[in-house]
Amino acid sequence: MIEARHLSKRYGDIAAVRDVSFQVGRGEVVGFLGPNGAGKTTTMRMLTGFLPPTDGTALIAEHDIFEDPLAARRAVGYLPETLPLYPEMTVRSYLDFVARIKDVPRGVLRSSVERAMERCGLAEVSRQVIGTLSRGYRQRVGLAQAIVHDPPVLILDEPTVGLDPLQVREIRQLIRDLASPRGGQTQHTVILSTHILPEVEAICRRVILMSRGRKVVDAPLEELVRGGQSLDEIFVRETARDDVDLATEAAS
Amino acid sequence: MKHVASIAGRELRGLFVSPVAYCVLSFFAILAGLFFVVHVRNFDEWVMRYQQMQAFDQLSEINLNDHVISLFYQSMTVVLLFAIPALTMGLFAAEKTNGTQELLLTSPLTIWDIVLGKFLAGAIFVLILGAIVGAFPGLLFAYGDPEPLRTLSGLLGLVLVGLTYVSIGVFASSLTRSQIVAFLLTFVLLLVLFILPALAELDLAGGAGAGEVLRWLSTETHLEDLLKGLVDTQHLAYFAVMIAGFLVLTKASVESVRWR
Repeated sequence: MIEARHLSKRYGDIAAVRDVSFQVGRGEVVGFLGPNGAGKTTTMRMLTGFLPPTDGTALIAEHDIFEDPLAARRAVGYLPETLPLYPEMTVRSYLDFVARIKDVPRGVLRSSVERAMERCGLAEVSRQVIGTLSRGYRQRVGLAQAIVHDPPVLILDEPTVGLDPLQVREIRQLIRDLASPRGGQTQHTVILSTHILPEVEAICRRVILMSRGRKVVDAPLEELVRGGQSLDEIFVRETARDDVDLATEAAS
Repeated sequence: MKHVASIAGRELRGLFVSPVAYCVLSFFAILAGLFFVVHVRNFDEWVMRYQQMQAFDQLSEINLNDHVISLFYQSMTVVLLFAIPALTMGLFAAEKTNGTQELLLTSPLTIWDIVLGKFLAGAIFVLILGAIVGAFPGLLFAYGDPEPLRTLSGLLGLVLVGLTYVSIGVFASSLTRSQIVAFLLTFVLLLVLFILPALAELDLAGGAGAGEVLRWLSTETHLEDLLKGLVDTQHLAYFAVMIAGFLVLTKASVESVRWR
């Protein structure tokens, strides 16, 4: 569903992402891990078409982000780190607007908005102005805008940040449901970034760990923790090893 | 086209649920009323004076189009210098502070969909302002006999000036994430455009050619002929070139976010 081919992004002399490749199959939920500044957000922005890669390309649901950018973007639902909300709009009119610019056919516009609101638990605030909503509800509106056009691919940048434990549980359950839905609903492929390690253990089956712009680990979660190590230990070891590598690289 | 309408519709609704639209509209309507009354009173006074002086030549020359409506329209272009930046300052700057720029740029929209949508929203607002301005000369038809076509061509000129200002405001808004900076930048650009004829008079640029260019670039030059009822393609082309030019610049500016 998602295929990153040698993605690189440089900002002047700084390489934010270096030669990252991976494939994600239908229905997978992949956790994107890494310390701050590791290049998670930049990689996600390249997959969503917000930033063009300096090198490499990506395929989203078989659409190349360079050759067929509109089709690739149509196939993605994206929750950015900063929620992309218009504070003066009501929840319903906001989702209606998003559905329109995401090319939801006119005939199913209303039902798409209803479905997204229902799945994210927004029915009772549908007429409220977004600016007056609590942080938890705003996060749900952010998630609703990502799924309103029922895209096969979901890219979620820190979907549970700033939520209370109860809301975190709800959102995690929702993400799980999106990846393995009951009859008739689209099965979504999900990439989510986080630096909350228990979150990965709770919802992801596969982990991609990034450090300093590079992919350092890409393995199923089961395999990683088989040796009795915690994800925490692996995280520290892998990101530290990268530092050592860089130091030897610089020395030689 | 469908996307352009969606963007413009959202923008207009956004303007009308925030105080901006109402502030601009009431500010504009109040000043329009004041200027109109001033120009009508002046006209009245001159007519009285000429009658007392038995100056029949002047009396036959003075008319509503030259001495009320054109002056009124020109005054309103000055009001537009303030009103348009207030209207357009948020068009792109607010998308950046809201974080919604990321939503627009990751949606299946072209940059032109976004730019034209924003411009269309501003253009519709300018038409509303044009309707307010047009209502005042409309009153004169009840009490006098201005020439309808000249009145309309002047109004067309005012609307075209407004559309040009909107395209400049859209461009300025795309350059910054601060609405205040966008307002000031638009205002300065419009002011420069406005005083170009005065600069041309100064002959600073040297050579008659430069002065001509400056005069051609100014909206005022082209408005003047339209106020006289001369709807020349040369003037329409000028407005089309200005608007298209600034929209192309806006497109490049919005696109540059991707390449930074």
